[in-house]
Amino acid sequence: MKKPVKLIVLFALLACILLPTLTACDKADGGGAAERLVIYNWEDYIDIDMCDDFEAYYKEVTGRTIEITYTTFDTNETMMTKVLKNDANVDLICPSEYAIEKLLHAGCLLNHNDVLADISAQAAELGLTFDGMSSLKRGYGNIEPDVMDVIVDMFGSFEDENGDPVKDASGRNLDMTEYMVPYFWGTLGILYNTGVISEEELEEYGWGVLWNVQQNEKLENKILMKDSVRDSYAAAVFYMYEYGLLPEGYADYSVQELINCTDDVMLQAAEKVLTEQREHISGYEVDFGKDDMINEIVYADLAWSGDAIYAIEEGDYDEETDTYQLGYYVPPKASNIWYDGWVIPKTVNNKFAAMMFIDFMCQPVNGIRNSIEVCYSSAVSKDIIRADEEACAQLILSEAFDDNDNALFFKADGSPVESEEDIVFDEAVNPILFDANGNAVEYNLDEYFDNEVRYPEINASLGVMRDFGAQNDALVSMWQRAKSGKGIDTSLWWILLVIIALIALVVGAYFIVKALKLRPRKLKADGGTKE
Amino acid sequence: MKAKSARKPFRLTKKAFGVPYILFLLLFVVIPLVLILVNAFLDSDNNLTLANFKIFFTSSSSLTVLGNSLLVGVITTLICIIIGYPVAYILSKMSSGKILVLLYVIPMGVNFLIRTLATKAIFIAMDIELGMGTVIFGMVYNYLPFMIMPLHTTLSSIDKSYMEAAQDLGADKATVFFKTTLPLSVSGVISGVTMVFIPTISTYAISQLLSNGKIFLFGDSIQLSFEQGMYGVGSIMSIVMLVFVLISNFIMNRFNRQGNSVRRSLW
Repeated sequence: MKKPVKLIVLFALLACILLPTLTACDKADGGGAAERLVIYNWEDYIDIDMCDDFEAYYKEVTGRTIEITYTTFDTNETMMTKVLKNDANVDLICPSEYAIEKLLHAGCLLNHNDVLADISAQAAELGLTFDGMSSLKRGYGNIEPDVMDVIVDMFGSFEDENGDPVKDASGRNLDMTEYMVPYFWGTLGILYNTGVISEEELEEYGWGVLWNVQQNEKLENKILMKDSVRDSYAAAVFYMYEYGLLPEGYADYSVQELINCTDDVMLQAAEKVLTEQREHISGYEVDFGKDDMINEIVYADLAWSGDAIYAIEEGDYDEETDTYQLGYYVPPKASNIWYDGWVIPKTVNNKFAAMMFIDFMCQPVNGIRNSIEVCYSSAVSKDIIRADEEACAQLILSEAFDDNDNALFFKADGSPVESEEDIVFDEAVNPILFDANGNAVEYNLDEYFDNEVRYPEINASLGVMRDFGAQNDALVSMWQRAKSGKGIDTSLWWILLVIIALIALVVGAYFIVKALKLRPRKLKADGGTKE
Repeated sequence: MKAKSARKPFRLTKKAFGVPYILFLLLFVVIPLVLILVNAFLDSDNNLTLANFKIFFTSSSSLTVLGNSLLVGVITTLICIIIGYPVAYILSKMSSGKILVLLYVIPMGVNFLIRTLATKAIFIAMDIELGMGTVIFGMVYNYLPFMIMPLHTTLSSIDKSYMEAAQDLGADKATVFFKTTLPLSVSGVISGVTMVFIPTISTYAISQLLSNGKIFLFGDSIQLSFEQGMYGVGSIMSIVMLVFVLISNFIMNRFNRQGNSVRRSLW
């Protein structure tokens, strides 16, 4: 009779523990009046005001309110674990290219053309065409054609073991570009201290700088590598490629083929150079590389272009000599080009809002706003941004104030430029600005777009890295071996030896003292008996 | 009997208060352990396999990393004893010892990550190269209070009359220490060693921060495996770690029993 009571208590307790977690998961489903859009993006990878702006835009276009739930991940692997196990109840994800490939093959993603077909009635009613997106079968949209070409080249089609094209569930040829819209892109390179490493040095030694091949004394043990398997492997391969250290038979591979070749021979060779490198570097950074570079704790760092731009801007700038404290160099012989893109997972609850959000992100003004905020290069075509007055105004506004919030630019009537409405453009989309005294100021917008760090020339020296598939585990093991160095650290044995010697010394001293003390006592006793 | 127990009225006994904790244990200790055990025998496609064991036990790197970790653990523990024992001994002799012990314990209230980051900043400011030395320093710094606390408790709870008796019987200071204080404090040393050695072999953040990731210990290795989605190998490593924890616990218990018998054999 009373047993049920006990059970009830037990269940009540269980419920108390489990309910909060369950409801926390359910939050994403929404409920109530407002619609919901759940975004799963990298940390610090968006101008966060954009979420509010999108909510306003959505209301304006559809007349409905929407609430954005913005969640973040710190590595592709964390995100993939969640998504592959169907634990991520999200509408939009922004993974890197290789993660997109993996998710695509795991069948976790939706083709944007199918999504559009599902929502076509609603889209037609509101007159939405999603022109900015590159994933719909209409060409590049607002996306940089050069970047798209790289993606199409690598992921436009897949072949199975027999060389036949891989088909999707509805029998079409699988094309990753229909599943994703690029968001940011960039390169892998060397962030360096201009006071320690000269440009000639970089040009001569390339990736070897990260191995301190030139034996620059100041640089020894002042180099940081990324604590990331894929990037470090790529750097090792580039180094081997530059210095002819590749194993036999790999000489005529292209850069792209090389970084995607993870057979045991290549892994072994990479392990060798990475183990060698361990002797010359300060360590493997997770996220502190930029700060350590600015604080001059280290002088060279393997970095992504966006992080490099951020660090260069944050670092010192000497106006007299027009030199920055930090620089970024992509060795021209070989490097990596990467990009992250928006995908819609199968767990999507709000297809319409997801599509609208991607399209919103492809608008030039939003592309440049994100770019200004996070420093990476927006995948929105630079020509489209350059031709867009609204986007250019954002760019000027980001530089319109000095450190003390004083306006630097003025309108023709002498009032300061404070918002985008204050900026007037001529026909060639160049701004008409004045200084405080009413003299015309020439503002060169092209400088931003001509920056080679931000917009490098895309050629065959830049390779895309794809998912390593089954070889990934072997790669991780290789990375573990390289990081742990050769055998057990000999210094450890020495420390142990010193400690044991110390203890032995103390114990030995005790016995010696004891023995010494005992002797005279014995003598005294003997003397006593004699008398 | 059966009928009687079924009719027993439900009362809020001591047992009932244990239920939340048992549930907690089930949820956060037993279930994860079972998951680890299950994962150890699964490959990435969830098929039963023993390959994970083969991967771990045949790769020289994982064994090297394990060896490194054990050595670092032993060294840290030894240094902690060497530094901690005299401190605890002196503090137990002082009337204000309890307050001084607080000074050792208060820093423990600051999160260890923050302390470690601060240590790193100091090393960098002093231009000391990060490496094995700094890692061991960090470990000792972080775990020293765990050695001093049990030692101080044991040392100050030793009945002073033992020492006085020894002195009265003509033993000099060193002999008093080695013949009475040291044997009587063995249980404190044992619990100190357990509290230092076991956490040190499994740390990962300290080594990663204080060596910029250059010193790669077993904890780092486990973390990397799980981060890279290699759940099988990661689980095996966790099990190996558990085995080491159990072994060291077993040895400590053995010693402790001997320690207790020492106390008895003093008579």
